[in-house]
Amino acid sequence: MNRTTLRLILVTLAVVGCVAWLISSGVKATGMQYMTVTEIAQLTAPPRQGAFRLDGKVQAGSVDYDQRAPRLRFKMTDGKEAIGVVYDGLMPDAFADGREVVVEGSYHHADRTLHASKLVTKCPSKYEAEGLGKDRS
Amino acid sequence: MSEIGKLSLFLAFLCSCYAVGAFVVGLRTGMAGPLKSGRRAVWAVCGLTLLATILLVRALVARDFSYRYVAEHTSLDLPVMYAFSSLWAGQEGSLLLWLLILSAYGAAFLWCYRKRLDPFYDAVAMVVACVMIFFTSLLSFVSSPFRILATPPPDGNGLNPLLQDPGMMIHPPILYTGYVGFIIPFAFGIAVLIMNRTGTRWIEEVRRWTLFNWMFLGFGILLGARWAYIELGWGGYWGWDPVENASLMPWLVGTAFLHSVMIEQRRGMLKTWNIVLIVLTFELSIFGTFLTRSGVLTSVHSFAESDIGPWFMGFILISATIATALILYRKALLESENRMDAVVSREGSFLFNNVLFVALTFATFLGTTFPVLSEAVTGTKISVSAPFFNRVNVPIALALLLLTGIGPVLSWKRATASFMKRNFIIPIFVGVVATLVSIPFGLHGVYPAVCVFGAAFVISCVVMEFARGVQARKDVEAPVNPAALVHLVQKNKRRYGGYIVHLGVVMIFVGVLGSSVFQKEAHAPLQPGQSMAIGPYALTLDKVEDTQIQNATQTRAHVQVSRNGKRLTDMHPAKAMYTKSQQPMTEVALQSTAAEDLYLILGGVNEDGSASIQAYINPLVAFVWMGGVVMVIGTIICLADRMRLKREEKLLA
Repeated sequence: MNRTTLRLILVTLAVVGCVAWLISSGVKATGMQYMTVTEIAQLTAPPRQGAFRLDGKVQAGSVDYDQRAPRLRFKMTDGKEAIGVVYDGLMPDAFADGREVVVEGSYHHADRTLHASKLVTKCPSKYEAEGLGKDRS
Repeated sequence: MSEIGKLSLFLAFLCSCYAVGAFVVGLRTGMAGPLKSGRRAVWAVCGLTLLATILLVRALVARDFSYRYVAEHTSLDLPVMYAFSSLWAGQEGSLLLWLLILSAYGAAFLWCYRKRLDPFYDAVAMVVACVMIFFTSLLSFVSSPFRILATPPPDGNGLNPLLQDPGMMIHPPILYTGYVGFIIPFAFGIAVLIMNRTGTRWIEEVRRWTLFNWMFLGFGILLGARWAYIELGWGGYWGWDPVENASLMPWLVGTAFLHSVMIEQRRGMLKTWNIVLIVLTFELSIFGTFLTRSGVLTSVHSFAESDIGPWFMGFILISATIATALILYRKALLESENRMDAVVSREGSFLFNNVLFVALTFATFLGTTFPVLSEAVTGTKISVSAPFFNRVNVPIALALLLLTGIGPVLSWKRATASFMKRNFIIPIFVGVVATLVSIPFGLHGVYPAVCVFGAAFVISCVVMEFARGVQARKDVEAPVNPAALVHLVQKNKRRYGGYIVHLGVVMIFVGVLGSSVFQKEAHAPLQPGQSMAIGPYALTLDKVEDTQIQNATQTRAHVQVSRNGKRLTDMHPAKAMYTKSQQPMTEVALQSTAAEDLYLILGGVNEDGSASIQAYINPLVAFVWMGGVVMVIGTIICLADRMRLKREEKLLA
């Protein structure tokens, strides 16, 4: 192996090492744990991790939207338990009672709410195969 | 009619199978007959797919709700142009579009090489036909667009309002033209391995096909970003959403290939690596289709969750395994002809370009699939989103920006210290000055500073390259003569076209920097007559009114905009309530200049009659779109260069 090849390998390794460090530290700093609503609701002590990602549905009748702030409060449920969610931002277009949502944010155990930094509403299944019945055989 | 559609897809499936069989027989025996027959079968697949597509489009436009697909994605009140574009609103239609473009590529390929009787091209067509088998069988047996409902509903479900946008008419076909097109480079690569092909002509051919697809994919990605910017109404254009990442990954690997292929052409090195990149680009574009359509990950784009996921995973596994086996089997063919002479050289810089592009792809892949991977490895599902990608990808991208300036200037084999001094002193100086000048404008932080430095550095490197080129041409008297510049580009389209692409890249970096670091945001509920301020703008609400449009009721706010006290224009942010779905849809108002965009969203009308207005100032965002156009122009200039192709031709003759 000549010197140039050796140098190339060393520099490449250094680059790969830097990228590996970026990724692992990135995951540590920004990774969010997936939880179900029930798991979060049944916590008895404040969780160690800060950030969570939750899937669930908007509980019917729980939406409280202050358009002027704008601040959106609602209860999110997985069918068994429900927790409160606060989101400082405009209500997404597809957001409504019963819609499936994904929220990311930090959980405050004291007031048992999730302070969402991101709120994604899944597109309603209305645009999919609901209620059209069977195929002709 | 639906029977004809089903039948034509099934015949397309049979024809693809026949084509593969005929090619195999022809290639093994060396007989011309079966090869000819195989080529015809590929043409037949193209014709049959076109027929099926026309039948489906006819049903969509006629709103024939006996078709399940039509009932799912259109309605009577949908404008005709969106009935047409709902061809790619759902899974079955998207797959049909995939197959249509795939078979069009197959036919275009055969047309381009119709005069070449070299069986190598038949091997390429055979690989394309293998992929056709996969898509025709999916459309025939798993996910048919021609399913008929037992009881047709009086009206359909309607098209998702998000997709009712002119951008959605062109974004998916253009993106797909890029995505699907990577089949041709992949087929070339596999054919080279199967046929044990030596020589260099095919490398130039692959480079040109890749360049073409790469241009469409990049342009399609930017159109998608533009759509998100206008339609999703959150003030941004890129959110590191899984589907955005899915389209970005093959583009990144394709970019890496376009650079490293130059080393193969010039020095006969990195042959294995280049084949790996070709294969990876193709697999990632299949993976992208899979991500969009499988619903594995939550995304704004995943409109459907479906059962075709395992089919795609299976296809990716099988094709990647075959490709890997072939690469190992043909190790001797891919032997390098030269060795790297020095780290600081054109080859060296391109090698790092490749390492960084692949690292960027890897990080993006890891972040996108992290929930699935972490669950498999540790048992807990961890997810990452935009902050992760910004943290990891921004520094890598900035390193690439600097390389954009350095790489093309460095000489092949070895760059000496005096060469470095001569070529880089001025660009470094310009970069430092640009950074210092930007600080009073609010520039702070390491990454933004590196970005400004890098942008100025790359621009001056490119300008100096142009200047040197003009100077070297002795027949020109005036050094800064536009005609001389045009002449220079004409003489060496490939080189200067590449520089123009690099300028486009710099523009995109500048646009992203401006709109992410210097974005301003304000929100206020306004009564008619009240004003709010954002930056130099004053926004005064005039009135709010409701109007009826074709399939929705629209609430429009009339906002008077003035800049530094001077009356500028009226803007109309709105919210449309779609009659059929009762879903609201934000319609952004946009006032664009090269310097900045003023972006207004109507949050809604409050009980007291005030309207909630959300405003953003996005500086320099226009540079992102302009940079995209410049990249396309540069790529077209590169594609116009047929010099090398002709030289290869002479070598063969």
